[in-house]
Amino acid sequence: MPSDLDEGAAAKFHLKLDSETVAEVISADPVCVSEQATLREVLSLLRRLGRGCALVCQEQKLVGIFTERDALRLLALLGAGNVQLLDQPIRSLMVPNPVTIRKDATVAEAIRRMSQGGYRRLPVVDGNGTPVGVMKVSGILHYFAEHFPKYVYTLPPEPHYAPRERDGA
Amino acid sequence: MICCPFCGAENIPGDDLCEVCHEPLSTLHLPEPATEVERGLIKDRLESLNPRAPVVVEPEMPVLPVLRMMLDHKIGCVLVVKEARVVGIFTERDALLRLSDDPQEWKDRPVSEFMTPNPQTLDLKAKVAFAVQRMDQGGYRHVPVVDDQQRPIGVISVRDILRYLTERLGAPV
Repeated sequence: MPSDLDEGAAAKFHLKLDSETVAEVISADPVCVSEQATLREVLSLLRRLGRGCALVCQEQKLVGIFTERDALRLLALLGAGNVQLLDQPIRSLMVPNPVTIRKDATVAEAIRRMSQGGYRRLPVVDGNGTPVGVMKVSGILHYFAEHFPKYVYTLPPEPHYAPRERDGA
Repeated sequence: MICCPFCGAENIPGDDLCEVCHEPLSTLHLPEPATEVERGLIKDRLESLNPRAPVVVEPEMPVLPVLRMMLDHKIGCVLVVKEARVVGIFTERDALLRLSDDPQEWKDRPVSEFMTPNPQTLDLKAKVAFAVQRMDQGGYRHVPVVDDQQRPIGVISVRDILRYLTERLGAPV
């Protein structure tokens, strides 16, 4: 493998973190539900879509978030016999007013906010407070992996794991 | 000349295998790391992340107490272990996506029916770069770290990796 790492790779990466916006990095559309949706409806929607969180919105504005962590707590309560919870509106079960990030914020800001607050996901909102996506910690991992491809994708786990014999005859 | 990492023999730069012991020299061909992040990614092993001790359960444990355990320990996953080997992982994602609205269908059922069997594991000696690759490609947020007998030693989460990267990156945090 040629030693072709450009000199300023690190500087460029820092520049990118400070210039690239959150909007350029997020992918999937957010799952939005209304405050009146019941727990039953939200759980079934997330199951059907295979997603881990729902944003709770009222008139296009973000008012809360419901994540798999909240679901875990509620499933334990259902298991303990509180099945009436299924008909409760999500408004009373969500986490209200979650920390968000503006879509024009930089990736560096998003990382800072996530690691300081210990959040795994941040709802991304536009200037009107309308949610446009969710920034996930796994998305940031992917961002790093893409920016250090030489290091991340070419290395065996341990030199001794490399095949010692050639494949084939 | 480049030095073989296995036997120490000197080789001509560009060779694929060591002339003396025939071990691959490929890892020496990586470009010289330019930053702390790059240096760390290819040098540091998972042990430097101090993986959290895993919370383990038996495959027969019913789902409801497993959920309570995850809540009590404030953790996102448990490792399902049989005869000291990791046979599965059960995460809060599995709980959300696999448990129905009717708790009678799952609360007393064994966790092994709802876990992800035979999860990807990582060796404590694996490089951080390898963990980043595996977690990113597999979309895993938790990976069990095991010793050479597949015995669980810890769990690495995507947040541990993020913390590691941001600490070394310096600038953003």
